[in-house]
Amino acid sequence: MSLKLNNLGRRIDGRWILRHLDLEIQNGECLALVGASGCGKSTTLRIIAGLDQADEGSITIDGTDVTSTAAVDRKVGMVFQSYALFPHLSVAANLELGLKVRGVAPSERQQRVRQVLQLVQLEERASQKPAQLSGGQRQRVALARALLRDPLVYLLDEPMSNLDAQLREELRPELRRLVLRDQKPVIYVTHDQHEAMAIADRIAVLKDGQIEQVANPIELYKHPASLYVAEFIGRPQINVLPPEQGVIKAIRPEALKLQAGGIACELLHREWLGASQIWQLDSRLGPLRMHVGSEQTVPESIQVSWAPEQEHRFNARSGKRLTA
Amino acid sequence: MLLLLVPAAVLLAVVFVAPMLHYVWLSAHANSVLTGLVPIPNQGANWLRLVSDQRFWQDAGQTLRFTVVSVSLEVLLALAIALLLDQRWRGRGVARALTLIPWALPTTVMALGWRWIFNTPYGPLNQTASLLGVAPLNILSNPSITWMATVLADVWKTTPFAALILLAGLQTIPTDLYEALRLEGASQRTCFLRITLPLLKPYIALALLFRLAQAFGVFDLVQVMTGGGPASSTESLALYAYINAMRFLDFGYSATVMIGSFILLLLLCLISWSFLIRLQRRTGRV
Repeated sequence: MSLKLNNLGRRIDGRWILRHLDLEIQNGECLALVGASGCGKSTTLRIIAGLDQADEGSITIDGTDVTSTAAVDRKVGMVFQSYALFPHLSVAANLELGLKVRGVAPSERQQRVRQVLQLVQLEERASQKPAQLSGGQRQRVALARALLRDPLVYLLDEPMSNLDAQLREELRPELRRLVLRDQKPVIYVTHDQHEAMAIADRIAVLKDGQIEQVANPIELYKHPASLYVAEFIGRPQINVLPPEQGVIKAIRPEALKLQAGGIACELLHREWLGASQIWQLDSRLGPLRMHVGSEQTVPESIQVSWAPEQEHRFNARSGKRLTA
Repeated sequence: MLLLLVPAAVLLAVVFVAPMLHYVWLSAHANSVLTGLVPIPNQGANWLRLVSDQRFWQDAGQTLRFTVVSVSLEVLLALAIALLLDQRWRGRGVARALTLIPWALPTTVMALGWRWIFNTPYGPLNQTASLLGVAPLNILSNPSITWMATVLADVWKTTPFAALILLAGLQTIPTDLYEALRLEGASQRTCFLRITLPLLKPYIALALLFRLAQAFGVFDLVQVMTGGGPASSTESLALYAYINAMRFLDFGYSATVMIGSFILLLLLCLISWSFLIRLQRRTGRV
């Protein structure tokens, strides 16, 4: 039981904006779809929902091919980036409308709306309009609407992008708990690698409509399949050294160590993160970022090095990882 | 900060409040050729005359009929046009521009055009009729149907204006609202009734009130197209006020007619407004 995308492709004006997309998401698994804007992640979501049509490939939900099934019969619960709440309806009416459209009896409608409002802890907001709610509350209404759908698949399109950083952090565990409550596949689209790392079981990195790598967060961080993934995942960003004989080396800022006899560097700037600090260095290899403990003082002369096994090596032409 | 409002307030006072007060003052005076164009207070005689003036009330009824029929047709047609122009299709940009042409034409020009269209027996309408073997239609000389011709011309001219307002309203509705409801299996019709119409209501109200005020004060269209005839059957209140001043040179009474029609318009706006508010309260329920 799962959601499967087989060789999915989408072409607009003769250009493939999505190609050869293969993914399988298990029940009770949250997969984050990340990538820069325009990489095709929202398109993927819309194709799964049935709001857009694929030009190639197929989609199966629980073993049933739904590629040409109407959106309504796919039973997906979608949370839109804008939340797509009806501004003229109260919170309860927003939730009830979908049930009414689906022909659920009035008494059952009210009961189910009450239950879901309880679940997202918005009972006392039932009669308010969306404009009277905070961003976090609106997002919970949008989520409640998806939950009411009893979906086979959850599709979340940047559900946190309109919230401030602190609220995002607070809501993350709650959101994960709610969407995984009934053990369905969840696709979470975001452009924020940090959020993807925090919320997802696995992450698929998209670039120009193609998957660069699918792996769990640790694997993605430790063994990025391409230079693009290495640069996309992990903050502060990985240090990329100038190519040498067709090979690009990259080293994580946290892998750099102060060591006599290492590469001589000049300190340009210190950034305090509280528990740690980032040093912006300049060296003969170009600018370097170094992640050090907050106790670390700046020595007279800075010389840095790293263990060879901490080096990531990529083909300079293709950007693919070289296995040493 | 209030000081910054002074220029606007002065402008408003000079071009709006002052003439208005002057007319109120004038309506309490006899001021015509009979008084040698010298205003003489006449203790509300103008107003007594207005209340029992059959022509005033006949014109009020005609103006109301013209307003209600043309504004309803305009808003309905405008809604259909706006919905069409909001869809994505080839040539939409051109169609949007073309739609505005009737509105961009000066009223006198288009009123002359319509007068020619309805001309008996040489106008295009009667030419076509004669080709089809139909007897000439004396549209502009039949007191029971001429008003419909003025409604037609007004609808033709001002529907684009209402369509423009409604189109702007349609474009403020985010597409993902429709998509969210489509995922629940809603039909086009449900989407229209549940999303488009309620969210468009403020814009419909705006178009309605704008057009109501304009149509009730109709002057140039009627003046050029029919001159208020035949047999005063298309005479509007504005035209009656004009005739009193310019033909009968009775400025006191003309001012009374104008203030009287202004009061009627206010009443009309109030009635429509309370109707719209009641409609607004009904949304928000499933």
